[in-house]
Amino acid sequence: MSQRDPQIDSELSERLRAIDVRAPQELHERIESLVAERAAARRRPAGWRLQIGGAVALAAIVAGLLISLLGGGAASKLTMRETVALTQRPATASAPSENARNGTELAVAVDGVPFPYWDERFGWRSTGSRTDGLDGRQVTTVFYVNRDGQRIGYAIVAGKPAPTIKGGVIEWRSGTPYRLQHAWGNEVVSWQRSGHLCVIAGHGVNPSALLALASWQGHETLSA
Amino acid sequence: MATRARAYGRDALPKPMRTLDPQSLPQHVDRLYRAAWALCGSREDAEDLVQETFSRVLSKPRVLQGDDELYYLMRVLRNTFLTGRRTASRRPVTAAVLEDVVAADPKPTSRPEQAIEVQELYATIAQLSEDFRLALVAVDVLGLSYREAARALRVREATLTTRLFRARKQVAAQLAPEVEQVRESTREGKTAGGVLSTGGTA
Repeated sequence: MSQRDPQIDSELSERLRAIDVRAPQELHERIESLVAERAAARRRPAGWRLQIGGAVALAAIVAGLLISLLGGGAASKLTMRETVALTQRPATASAPSENARNGTELAVAVDGVPFPYWDERFGWRSTGSRTDGLDGRQVTTVFYVNRDGQRIGYAIVAGKPAPTIKGGVIEWRSGTPYRLQHAWGNEVVSWQRSGHLCVIAGHGVNPSALLALASWQGHETLSA
Repeated sequence: MATRARAYGRDALPKPMRTLDPQSLPQHVDRLYRAAWALCGSREDAEDLVQETFSRVLSKPRVLQGDDELYYLMRVLRNTFLTGRRTASRRPVTAAVLEDVVAADPKPTSRPEQAIEVQELYATIAQLSEDFRLALVAVDVLGLSYREAARALRVREATLTTRLFRARKQVAAQLAPEVEQVRESTREGKTAGGVLSTGGTA
């Protein structure tokens, strides 16, 4: 073994310790928001916290029963199940066109959050859209179809704050957490864009492909 | 208690337990970011790693021994980093993932010359083997003591010392041209002084 060189040790250590690069401001803000979110969660009553999983499951069952009883669920609750269900319903409006000023997004947006234009880059073209109300919030869904005939729905929930989502597996892309779930027969990816809940869901679609679509930031970059 | 203290020495006494205060965590973001950058070799991955680390730490109340928050964060950072690497190696690579590449942050630091040096240093560290990299990051980037670093990385202090020495040596070798340049100029200065003095005597 070669001899230890104290000069190498100290020079390198000094150089490394002298680095004072700060983390990006956005990262600081995200961590502070995580801390605040956690603190708020801890302030909730313990019983509420313990039973949250069961309550969510029960709410989903009750919502399902109500929907079937009411025949269509005109006054549906804003749940993940309902949001995903919207992405599987038929379109009620024609396909939104490409934004003339920004070729990476469509000419339709929710509170300023635009839907992406994926046709050229990914081969997913928009085929239609619909707008529904869930719990007093407007949910706009754009439907896309690829060359293999697979169909996905991209829903953006209007209003802030975005509803909190639990469960699934979290994948990080460029500092944004994307929640992947296999639920109600669909592959589902949910995340937030500018504080708005976004959900993409499709049946039989590769989750990696859904994640790549969801995390594509071409339209964000250009419109920023 | 006094008997235990005598038997194991003063340092062996267990430190008091306390619950980690989440509000104290944001103060460590910068240091952890630097450590993550050196581990990953890229700023974007470092951001993700730091956020995932904090997310894990905050997922439930944590009980710490003593005041060593940074040591604890390093341990979670290491675990998150290793888990992420294993997951990534198992994940099938799809062509679509290429689309995730995001343009580099145009202003990582306020001093461009330092940014280049940092980029180069951290990229060199990121090329080391995992064990060497973690040792170097824990001690030289995060600033943990050898003892804390050894605990955080779950290795013996002697092992950590060896890894650290080898890691520094490898990094120094990678950066050899500029390091050697500095050292050569120092040597030349010393030798020149010696020759003059000899000449004077003769």
